[in-house]
Amino acid sequence: MLNLEKSFYSKTSMYSFITIVVLFFLMWMSTAQFLHIDMALLGYMIGTAVFAIGLCIRMSFWIYRTATNRVAARSVKNLFTKERIKRNAKSLTITLIDNIVLQKFIFKRGLYRGIQHIMISWGCIISFAFTFGLTFGWFRFDLVDPDTYQMVAFNIPLIKMAAHGWIAEIFYNMLNIGAVMVLIGASMALFRRIKDYDVKVTQRFEFDLLPLYILLAVTVTGLALTVSYDFLDGWMHPHISLVHQITVVIMLMYFPFGKLFHVPIRPLATAVPMSYQETLKVDTKSCKSCHQPYSNDDQIADVQAILKAQSFDLQLADGSYLSDYCPSCRRRMRALKQMNMEAPKGNPYGPVNTNNGIHLSGFSKKRSEDFYGIEQDIKKDLGEEKEHEPVSR
Amino acid sequence: MNKIMYLEFERCIGCRACQAACRECGDHDAKERNYVEYVDFTESRQTFPMLCMQCKDPACARVCPANAIQITDEGVVLSAMEEKCIGCRNCTFGCPFGIPKFDFEKNKMYKCDMCYDRTRDDIAPMCASVCPSDAIRFIDFDEMQQLRRKRTQMNLVEGKKPQEGNKWDYVPEFFGVYTDSQS
Repeated sequence: MLNLEKSFYSKTSMYSFITIVVLFFLMWMSTAQFLHIDMALLGYMIGTAVFAIGLCIRMSFWIYRTATNRVAARSVKNLFTKERIKRNAKSLTITLIDNIVLQKFIFKRGLYRGIQHIMISWGCIISFAFTFGLTFGWFRFDLVDPDTYQMVAFNIPLIKMAAHGWIAEIFYNMLNIGAVMVLIGASMALFRRIKDYDVKVTQRFEFDLLPLYILLAVTVTGLALTVSYDFLDGWMHPHISLVHQITVVIMLMYFPFGKLFHVPIRPLATAVPMSYQETLKVDTKSCKSCHQPYSNDDQIADVQAILKAQSFDLQLADGSYLSDYCPSCRRRMRALKQMNMEAPKGNPYGPVNTNNGIHLSGFSKKRSEDFYGIEQDIKKDLGEEKEHEPVSR
Repeated sequence: MNKIMYLEFERCIGCRACQAACRECGDHDAKERNYVEYVDFTESRQTFPMLCMQCKDPACARVCPANAIQITDEGVVLSAMEEKCIGCRNCTFGCPFGIPKFDFEKNKMYKCDMCYDRTRDDIAPMCASVCPSDAIRFIDFDEMQQLRRKRTQMNLVEGKKPQEGNKWDYVPEFFGVYTDSQS
């Protein structure tokens, strides 16, 4: 692997190359040696190839990040730990269904947002799956006899269906269904972005609004194609088709570099309960100061390693790290430090002397000697001077 | 923006008005993002307010595996972007000051953003605008310098002599966001 890597400009370019090779090998295989390529989709095919390279580059840079790398490595390591396999399978399945398929956490942020997001995401996934499948010829529909179509996936003949049967109709309209879902979702999202003052606080045009406009452009031009050939006898069809192709290519180019990039990195979320909860929803690591459980050992070890790798010096004088304390103890430590109230000696984790000497609790109380901050040797010198002080008679 | 947040912990009277105000801020979703805590409840009723330091190189952003914590042009460290945050809570444990909070229901992290919609227009954040005892203030950089000098003088009056090695123990907490772009 190391030698292979040396023949490339960088690791990333190697991964991109492998991706493209695999992609075109699959294409070669499923189109029966490029026999069944749909030439009408050539633009999409090239666009998708560039999209794959872009995605590969972004994913590589993302996974090289110290934090991501560490968390991903921990997930992989935990995934293949024997004692955990049963638990892993359970927590992975639950998180996958709750978080990715049903997106329950977004519904908890609001019903409106939940509906909007599930519409966009599943609409996009359906459309993407179908478009990629068709452009790369991973599956195609062969005409067996004038009334029967046969679906061929990866050059393996699968189900046969009547040319106007309900299965066939679903397949023909798959992209329309996806487009309508995205249209509803993206319009809802755009409406929320325009109406809601709360989201405007951190909203940026190029990051939050542009992807919505791009998605809308793609869906509207795509649905216009259907309208054109179903209701208008193909009026303007070639022109709309070209515009649609341009919008799709723009979206594919935008995808790896903008907001939509959260789609491929989201699956790491499914690994979080598996990696960072030894027992589900139970904390096992306790705070060094208040002894309350607040996290678990794996996660704290990861956090410390990530910080260390990036030269964050958060080690205390006694060798412990700030992340060994629970957040509330950390806040208290900072306030004590700032108010100069940390215990001068003795057990630093014992009771704290909150009387800092600046404000005394009553009048005419004598301040303690160490309040004046006179160092021991100076004090001694002062004392010595007194002894030898000449006395006049 | 040439203003900074100025905290004086000793001034805190524990009324928690800052937390109530924080809940009202735009985009805070009726949840407070700051803290008011007891220094040591068994010894005294002294409380202290705590906000995010808005670090220049934030540890929370560095430990985030999803690269979800972004910093604005003004230097404000924002809450994790909702679409990126994978809910691993690394930021909560990475932050040396224990600031980020986590919402398990909605699966997202949220933290003090200095009321970004207000401070970017030089309006004081909610907490600073309601604090009755001036424990939290949103003031000019120059005013802060003056207050610090005064504080040092007060220490001298009190008989506390800061020395070269410990003079920083005698100045109060200050942090904030200052760029020279607009002034």
